[in-house]
Amino acid sequence: MRPALSAPLWGLLALLAAAPLRAGVPEAVSEAILPGYEGFTAATAALDTAARADCSAEALKAPWNAAFDAWMAVSHLRIGPSETDGRALAIAFWPDPKGSGARTQARLLDAADPALLAPERFAEVSVAARGLFALERLLYDPAFAGDYACALTRATAADLARMAADLETDWRETFAPLVLTAGSEGNDRFLTEAEARQALFTQLMAGLEFTADQRLGRPLGSFDRPRPERAEARLSGRSLRNVELSLAALERLALALAPDSPRTREGFDQARSRAANLDDPRFDGVADPSGRLRVEILQQRLHALRDVLSAEVGGALGVSVGFNAADGD
Amino acid sequence: MATRRHILAGLVASALPRLSWADAGSPAFLAAARMSSGAFALHGLTEAGAMLFAIPLPARGHAAAAHPTRAEAVAFARRPGTYALVIGCASGTLRARLTPPDGRQFNGHGAYSADGALLYTSEVVAETSEGVVGVWDTAGWHRVDEFPSGGIGPHELRRLPGSDDLVVANGGIRTDPQDRSKLNIETMRPNLSYLSPDGAILEQAELPEELRQNSIRHLALAEDGTVAFAMQWEGDPAEPVPLLGLHRRGEALRLCPPREEDLFAMRGYAGSIARSEGMIALTSPRGGVVQLHAEDGAPLATLARPDACGVAPLPGGFLVTDGGGAITRLTPEGFRPLERTAAAWDNHLVRI
Repeated sequence: MRPALSAPLWGLLALLAAAPLRAGVPEAVSEAILPGYEGFTAATAALDTAARADCSAEALKAPWNAAFDAWMAVSHLRIGPSETDGRALAIAFWPDPKGSGARTQARLLDAADPALLAPERFAEVSVAARGLFALERLLYDPAFAGDYACALTRATAADLARMAADLETDWRETFAPLVLTAGSEGNDRFLTEAEARQALFTQLMAGLEFTADQRLGRPLGSFDRPRPERAEARLSGRSLRNVELSLAALERLALALAPDSPRTREGFDQARSRAANLDDPRFDGVADPSGRLRVEILQQRLHALRDVLSAEVGGALGVSVGFNAADGD
Repeated sequence: MATRRHILAGLVASALPRLSWADAGSPAFLAAARMSSGAFALHGLTEAGAMLFAIPLPARGHAAAAHPTRAEAVAFARRPGTYALVIGCASGTLRARLTPPDGRQFNGHGAYSADGALLYTSEVVAETSEGVVGVWDTAGWHRVDEFPSGGIGPHELRRLPGSDDLVVANGGIRTDPQDRSKLNIETMRPNLSYLSPDGAILEQAELPEELRQNSIRHLALAEDGTVAFAMQWEGDPAEPVPLLGLHRRGEALRLCPPREEDLFAMRGYAGSIARSEGMIALTSPRGGVVQLHAEDGAPLATLARPDACGVAPLPGGFLVTDGGGAITRLTPEGFRPLERTAAAWDNHLVRI
């Protein structure tokens, strides 16, 4: 069941939606952000329930994938509650170039300490060894098996569901009201409306850059040294799916912020069809010249889309990437 | 040879009476900004963040250096810099304009000697990014000397407290003289260099090999000579690296990572650093956060403020300026707004 928005928040949204100056921000909160977090809470709760009933990989792959799908709707939001206690990192610790997640989990399995699996103790485990990627290893890597692995799967799923619920509650009850009352007396988080618009715009731009430069860029590596093994969620074969879902989520956010954005729509359409035609779920193709070219073309589309978003969505919101953030010195 | 520039500078300088900081009284900080008109200016601010005066800048500014006794400061252009302006701070008037010699570029920072008779400027040889410290006579604003900074791409330069020795953050990055693009990321090797006032290298500190892509750029000095330095990571953004380091002459360099949950909060980028009452503040406009550390480098808090960059000490905490125009007071409890302005505040806020 999806928790309903609290009545005061609906009232606030309705009130603010009527104020022309704030166009975009309330829509993004009510149409893109809060539903995304509600979906993630529901999907992780279902995964937790399934894990309690049966910790086997066969039983959990489907609900785990559904939870990952739901995370992709909000993974680009790296602000406010997702940064509290490193939640976004603990939910999805990737990239992990040194493999610290797998190493920490291997140590947990060696130690096989049941006390560590109590919720309050497990919440203190390194962010690298928790969340969706920790579960991916437990479900898809045969090296992680046995009774303690089963208990670790359950603890990780429960921890993930707890973080999702906390994240959604914090957004709904605390952070969304701050975003929606930006510039009001007593709101020390967003001192002007422009700060809230810029904050959401920055999430959009950083999210697109992450997909272009990390989700595509890491497996691409260099022409002389392609790195397919560095693709995101490669074990479960979700690498391309994550790119497609992230683009869908970013498009939803962009069009909620600035609905009248034809070039933005067109840019996402083109990227979507490029991605759909890749037919390369793990980006194995980056290792051969023709497959590589197709991933590079998608990456170039995303870089071009960044300029479109900056002009069209940034223009509609009257903001750009920060004066100092863009400077570099 | 006395150039036209030097003569003009001399005329401007001698035309005004020399007021001391005590006479000036009011401005507590200097900060460069882009105004809503698109023009650039240097502002004097009070301790409460109120804007006192604005002096037009010919191009985007960066940081400033305050004279130890006279009510005077030098504002530096953003690198690659073509100007530095000597400002009379009591009245907010221009006293002289410095231009780097042919083939040299200002790099945004500088410092006065203890007696205020000399100004040291952080510079590069434009073609190679080799670091140079320019030395200027502050009576007539002549360039009197220059010497190597001890590395490539120097950025902030400070005078050690109670001494005329200098410490330079040699960022290690060779850049294109026109467009700032970075040319040596694979081989860069930043360092902290301690120099005598005549340019002898007294000591150099380097980062461990795996962190040599961490460009050392900004400095905040304690009274005992401990140098807190802020870094900008040029390596793989997925590698969590510390962005704060501490060093004291004759001792080993210490790195100060944040808490695990805040490892990526700064997005690998510290834009400015300041110390105040046993705390160190490190700003990240890219992450939209300011991290507070204790004097020993232990992490205290990570606090959100969009596009925050300028930071300087205030009693009990810090004054922070950001690209959105806000001037805020920061304590470990959080930010409190002081002023909302139409200016986009630039990288540095300088206590004078």
